[in-house]
Amino acid sequence: MLDGATGTPAVAWRQGRSDRLWLALSRFRGAPLAGFWVLIVVVLGLPVVLFLAVAFSPRLFDQGPEWFTLSGFTQAFSGSLLQGVIDSLLIGVMSALAATATGFGVAWLVIRTDLPGRRVWTGVMFALLLAPSYLVALGWERLLEPSGVLDVAGIHLDGFRSLFYGPFGVIVVLSAKGIPFAFLAISGALRGLGEEFESAVRVHGGGPIAAARILVALLAPAMWSALAIVFAESVSDFGVAATLANDAHFPVATYTLYNAVQAFPIQFSIAAAVGWILMGFVVLALLAQNRALRTRSYRVLSGRSRPARRLRLSRAARVAGLAAMLFVATIGIGVPAFGAVSASLINGLGSLITSHGLTLSNYGRVLSSPTLRDPLVYSSELAAVTATITIVLAAVSARVLSRRGRGVSARVLDMSLLAAVALPGIVFAAGYIFTFNLPFFSEVGIQLYGTTILLVIGYVATALPATSRVLLGSVSQIQESLAEAGRVHGGGPIAAWRRTVLPVLSRSLVAAWVLVFAGTLLELPMSQLLYPPGSPTVSVAIEHALMNYDFAGGTAMEVVAVLGALAVVAIAWGLFRLLAPVGWRRLGSVP
Amino acid sequence: MSSAPIDTDAQAGHTIAIRGAVKRYGKTRVLAGVDLDIPAGRFLVLLGPSGSGKTTLARCLAGVERLDGGSIHLSGRLVSDSHHHLPPERRNLAMVFQDYALWPHLTALGNVTYALRRRRLPGDVARHRAQNALEEVGLALLADRYPHELSGGQQQRVALARAVVARPGLLLFDEPLSNLDADLRERLRVQIATIARDSEATVVYITHDQAEAFALADDIAVLDQGEMVQIGPPEQIYRQPATLFVARFTGTAGELLGQVKGIEGGHAIIDVAGRRVRVRCSGSVVVGTRVRILVRPAATRVLPGSEISANALPGTVVDVAYRGRGYEHVLACAGGALAAVFDSTRRPRGSEVSVWLDPDGCVAYAECLDADMVPIMATIGVKSTPATAVPA
Repeated sequence: MLDGATGTPAVAWRQGRSDRLWLALSRFRGAPLAGFWVLIVVVLGLPVVLFLAVAFSPRLFDQGPEWFTLSGFTQAFSGSLLQGVIDSLLIGVMSALAATATGFGVAWLVIRTDLPGRRVWTGVMFALLLAPSYLVALGWERLLEPSGVLDVAGIHLDGFRSLFYGPFGVIVVLSAKGIPFAFLAISGALRGLGEEFESAVRVHGGGPIAAARILVALLAPAMWSALAIVFAESVSDFGVAATLANDAHFPVATYTLYNAVQAFPIQFSIAAAVGWILMGFVVLALLAQNRALRTRSYRVLSGRSRPARRLRLSRAARVAGLAAMLFVATIGIGVPAFGAVSASLINGLGSLITSHGLTLSNYGRVLSSPTLRDPLVYSSELAAVTATITIVLAAVSARVLSRRGRGVSARVLDMSLLAAVALPGIVFAAGYIFTFNLPFFSEVGIQLYGTTILLVIGYVATALPATSRVLLGSVSQIQESLAEAGRVHGGGPIAAWRRTVLPVLSRSLVAAWVLVFAGTLLELPMSQLLYPPGSPTVSVAIEHALMNYDFAGGTAMEVVAVLGALAVVAIAWGLFRLLAPVGWRRLGSVP
Repeated sequence: MSSAPIDTDAQAGHTIAIRGAVKRYGKTRVLAGVDLDIPAGRFLVLLGPSGSGKTTLARCLAGVERLDGGSIHLSGRLVSDSHHHLPPERRNLAMVFQDYALWPHLTALGNVTYALRRRRLPGDVARHRAQNALEEVGLALLADRYPHELSGGQQQRVALARAVVARPGLLLFDEPLSNLDADLRERLRVQIATIARDSEATVVYITHDQAEAFALADDIAVLDQGEMVQIGPPEQIYRQPATLFVARFTGTAGELLGQVKGIEGGHAIIDVAGRRVRVRCSGSVVVGTRVRILVRPAATRVLPGSEISANALPGTVVDVAYRGRGYEHVLACAGGALAAVFDSTRRPRGSEVSVWLDPDGCVAYAECLDADMVPIMATIGVKSTPATAVPA
């Protein structure tokens, strides 16, 4: 007997009124999940579906006389709108090719060679991944624009400026933004590719070039993935479209969609048609990837695979490799960061004053002027709320997706989240404006348009698909029996989850929260279309400051926002280390 | 098959009444109307092959799965039917999972203490009791270790301590020894048997290993394809397997084909490839029926010399394996193959021998055209005890 102090086990078994209540409530077991689904439909599904439907049937939503028409598409394929579509296609293809080629080079140098500073270069890739595209574009602009940093410094690059303010610059920035996607796709495949394939070429008489060709062929799935992802990201991008491309008078589809929604009267059917075209581009990219790989097998990873050895670079090759990596880092991170920081330190940049001394006063203005400070505070609050809501919903989504014996609902959720990942953010934003402007919502008393709530819903919708994917990996690793053991040994559903599953997931949840926070703080497309009147977000306020030629104030705000995001990241992890019980912190840490 | 009453004099723990339990996963019916009664304090082993539904039944008892039909009562109170479901934490039970399900962020002591939450004990009392439970399983000195710092056997013992510490009314074991090596299994089996019985809880233990089942059980319930095919004490399951499936699953040396030639005083006389083999039958057997004879491992013996005596069959040695105490032979006989035929002397491969069959260790079943066997219950009581008769 373990302990004789208690009575018989049967004494502990009391079925009181609460148990009878549990039994009665157990009839409604689907209720919590139904609530989750209502949220998913309202947040993800309904706005986009209704918005896209208006492209075919304006009458259905009182947007025009026709029940069925293709006039939206006719207009989308004519004039400046057609130019936007063609430009998007051009920059999508060019960026995909450039980013995939560069990403392959970076991945090969980092994974397969002994190039110094491999961790640093991997860090650069992640920094580039997280940097919003409009900040990268704005950094370049601050350097190159007339009366910009280089002009003030007496360096006049007029020829390069006119080249950069056009398709070339847009492609450079989007390619730089695409490199980390290609790097992640290809480096994963490179890690899994054993040495034996290269060795087989060499022992059968092939030289290094023949071995490299075999390597590239075996990496085809990753290369195609990289091409498809970068293409989709580039055509969906709004950050560069709203900044560099717009300033260069180079129309792209996402910005023409934005203009259609901002026009008076609003041209929803045209915007929806452009939305369809953008979605079509993404689908085409995925189909091309699928078709290219359909009939071939690339199963190269097995228990017998030997890890590949790192190539020892010669001194010259090492210098060349380092130079190449430095070049990539400079284009993607270095120049934009230098542009933003230097611009923020120059007195009166963008104004007509002639003396441009170095000063910290722009930062003083950001911290003291309500016009510049309030958006920072407002965006920080929104980012915190969004991150919290998103990780709750993403954790539930990941749980639904990782369940044993996935049912129809899990498959539908999976498809919806995948589709949402592929959907351009600007289409989402337009969907919210359209849907919550419909008379139906005001008739039932739901007045969301122009409110902070709608902006948060939009942010959540933007962040949820990717965050669910991020958490799915961790949630899938958790044995179902951990939570079951929590219930069987006396914990209620929430208490058992909090005490048994939450600790195991805590590190991933903090990581996901931090990612969503940082992403939302600097988010542009949703903010641009949905910010409440009089309450601009950071990204919108930066845009406003730049439009008003307050380049120094705008860039100081950029720098403060980025530093603020990094500070919150540091604080979140610091708090986790400080407050989480030792058992929580041990999980997932490398000794 | 309806549940058989199980004798017991134990009074502690839950009484369990399962009626017509049905559980489906999609179109697959995993439990097909299971009935089972377990008196309080009884140690019942649910025995069956993979996919038989035994784990599902245990999970329905635990409350981590819902029933699609039928009902479960614990100590006379409804806890589950197709519309109602009392959650696991309100059933006063505990479970040792196949993968142990130890929480990786808690120490061994933390894992065990968690199970005392429902007792709402003061912190120091709970810790003291959890420490005692760990001491009981021999892990008092490792209380501060995290699960990944423990061996498989130690993890299993933490799971055992966690299960019994709160003195639940029902203890569920889901194949707790399946991930351990043979030596450790045997030692932990004894520990489980002792501690679980000391706890006075009713025990439901899941396994696919018939040796483990016979060693542990007060009663064995055999499941096949979601149906309860036989319930009874180990001796009854071994001596009187209700179906060909039960007989096969609880250990055979082989099967012989034959035809019933006569009935004599409760025994069946069966023709196996021209030789007469005698079995005593307890059911009705029709003369002329084609039958399949299941031979228990302990019911064979190689006869000295090559002379064929009564109730013996000729055979050729196909294989021989040294087993320490002697040799086990595989024989090819005219009516079928027999394995694990013991003799203290090694018989060379290819040699002709004569194997004697103990009528009490043979079970005959009528053979149907569609290969499903109808039990005749021509079963004879076994002389040896199940614990020694069942192959390890």
